Parts: sequence; structure tokens; C-alpha cells
Amino acid sequence: MKWRVIRLETRSAYSNMAIDNALIEGQKSGASEPTIRFYKWLPSAVSIGCFQSMNDEVDIERCNSLGVSYVRRITGGGAVYHDNKGEITYSVIAPEGLFPKGIIESYKVICGWVIDGLENLNIKAEFAPINDIIVNGKKISGNAQTRRDGAILQHGTILYDTDIRTMFSVLRVSAEKISDKMIRSAEERVTRVKDHANATQEELYDALLKGFTNGKDYEFGAYTEKELKRAEELEESVYSKNAWNFSR
Amino acid sequence: MKGSAKVKVPNGKIVEVKLDFDESINSIQILGDFFMYPESALKELESVLVGVSSSESEKNLTWIILETLKRNNATVIGVTPDAIANVIRKAIGNEVESNKT
Repeated sequence: MKWRVIRLETRSAYSNMAIDNALIEGQKSGASEPTIRFYKWLPSAVSIGCFQSMNDEVDIERCNSLGVSYVRRITGGGAVYHDNKGEITYSVIAPEGLFPKGIIESYKVICGWVIDGLENLNIKAEFAPINDIIVNGKKISGNAQTRRDGAILQHGTILYDTDIRTMFSVLRVSAEKISDKMIRSAEERVTRVKDHANATQEELYDALLKGFTNGKDYEFGAYTEKELKRAEELEESVYSKNAWNFSR
Repeated sequence: MKGSAKVKVPNGKIVEVKLDFDESINSIQILGDFFMYPESALKELESVLVGVSSSESEKNLTWIILETLKRNNATVIGVTPDAIANVIRKAIGNEVESNKT
């Protein structure tokens, strides 16, 4: 079984989520190969979990003033700030049968690839169920998974040098709480690659690439015309629409 | 009347309920950072809960939630039917002695 790897690319929040959606649909029809993709978000964006309220989780005014985008994911989980300059996101989209049936076990497998990647930078990370990866007890990566029609989609973020102050100003925290105390408190819970390794972001990407592809038969590839067409449809009809993003 | 309640499930995720009710539940939203798939099962669950008596016991609410999730072949991670039922009761303001959430 051969994996297709999509090299690190940059897209809008709507496009990134539409691509993931199109690829999980493509698994059912057989139109899409099992895929690992790495990507960034431009502009920086907040993605919220499928069951969260956009207005409760995200300071929309603040996002608009900073030019930060916002989108609802098809996966559950919490709100994530995707700093264009400070974070790398991955998605794994493949037939469900390639992974353990148990949810936690399957999180552990894919999170293990992230952990292997970080190990390449001499960062000792560990899986913290349900869906986090931690270093010295602090979260460095959040992950979210769904399954539909016999396929699995897991995507996750790896913090490189995310701007914590901006993160906690766009995620719903009242302005008066953006004090030094708040930032210190956030830093106690969150950590970044840059806090542990003197690596460039390109080196982080290379390390992750190795972690994800180690021992696998894979080749670098591109999306098919059909996948891109479906993603464009989903971007236009779902992910760019308030009806979806503000549905809760 | 409107009600809301939010809890962090021990070793799990956050679940929040916002509802409008009188003698029965008129509308309800179940929110949080838990995982459920197919994701459409949550909407189905909310539909089923509309019209349910607002004095329904936590035990019966748990049963309704469990049955609806089963019928939809839903997999749920980070929250349980009894935790959702507990938060619904809290949101209605008729908190029972159980405090497992």
C-alpha cells in the first residue's frame, strides 16, 4: 500500500478544510489515495471543533481587526490558533482499516508519527490521551480525528513558535485577562518546538516528514483534478459560509 | 425560560448545554470539545430532546441519549450519555444529587 505525500503547502482556512473534506470523501469512492499532507494557513486562522460555538470560542471582532480567518472543522475537539508563521498542520486521510479500531489506539499510532518527528530534533514528546502530545507535561500538539464511510481523517497542529499573546487574544479570553499573568498561565500549559530545539521551521518540517514516512512506501504527489474540483465546491458551498461557520 | 450549564467531564472533554424550556424542552444546543461521529448524530440527538419533559429524570434522559446515539451508530469520545444528561438537568436548574460530571 502506497501513501501519497503532499509537500508543505499554504492555503486559506476554507481551502485547507475543504481539501481534507474532499480527500475523506475520495477514500470512499476510491478516487483518493491514502494521503499525508502538511500545510500552513494564510491568513493565520482559528479553527474550531465541529460542536463548538464560534461566537463563544472566538473573538470575531479581534480576528477581523487582525485579519485572522476563522473556520469550523468537520472534526470535534477544541479551538486552535493556526499562526501562519509559527505552526505546521498535518492531515492523514486513509482507509479506516489501516489503523486500529480503537479510537485512542489509532490516535496513538498517528500521534506516534508526530512524536517520531520531534524525536528527530531530540525533543522527547509523549502521547497524552485523548488527543494531545506533550513535552514535559506541556501541550505541543493538538489532534482531532473523525471517521466516515470507512475512512479516517486525523489532523493536528504542531506549535513551532506560535505567538501566544495573539493566540489568547483571538481565542475567547476577555481583553482584561490579556495580562502578563494570563500569558504566564498560558505558557505553563503550552510549549513550542522553539522552546526545546534550535531548529528552523524547515528543519521541523523535514523532521516531521521523516517521522510520518519512516518505514512506509510513499511518493510525493499532487491533488487530482477531481479532488481539487470537489474541494472548490466544498469551499464555496460550506467552509466559506456563515451558515456553516456560525451554525453553533 | 432559558438555561445553560457547562462541565468538564473527568478525564474527558467539556460539554455545555444551552436550552429554552417550559414544561418541555423547546430548543437545545449541546456544545463542547468532545468528539462524536458521525457528526450528524448530535443534531439528531438535539432534535430528539426537543419536546422531552423538562422534569424528565436524569436516568431517563440518559436512556434517551444512549438509544439515540445507538440508533445513529455514533461513536462518542470525551463525554458520556450520563454526563450529557447530567448537564441537561443542571441547565434546567433541577440539579440532582448526582455529581459525577
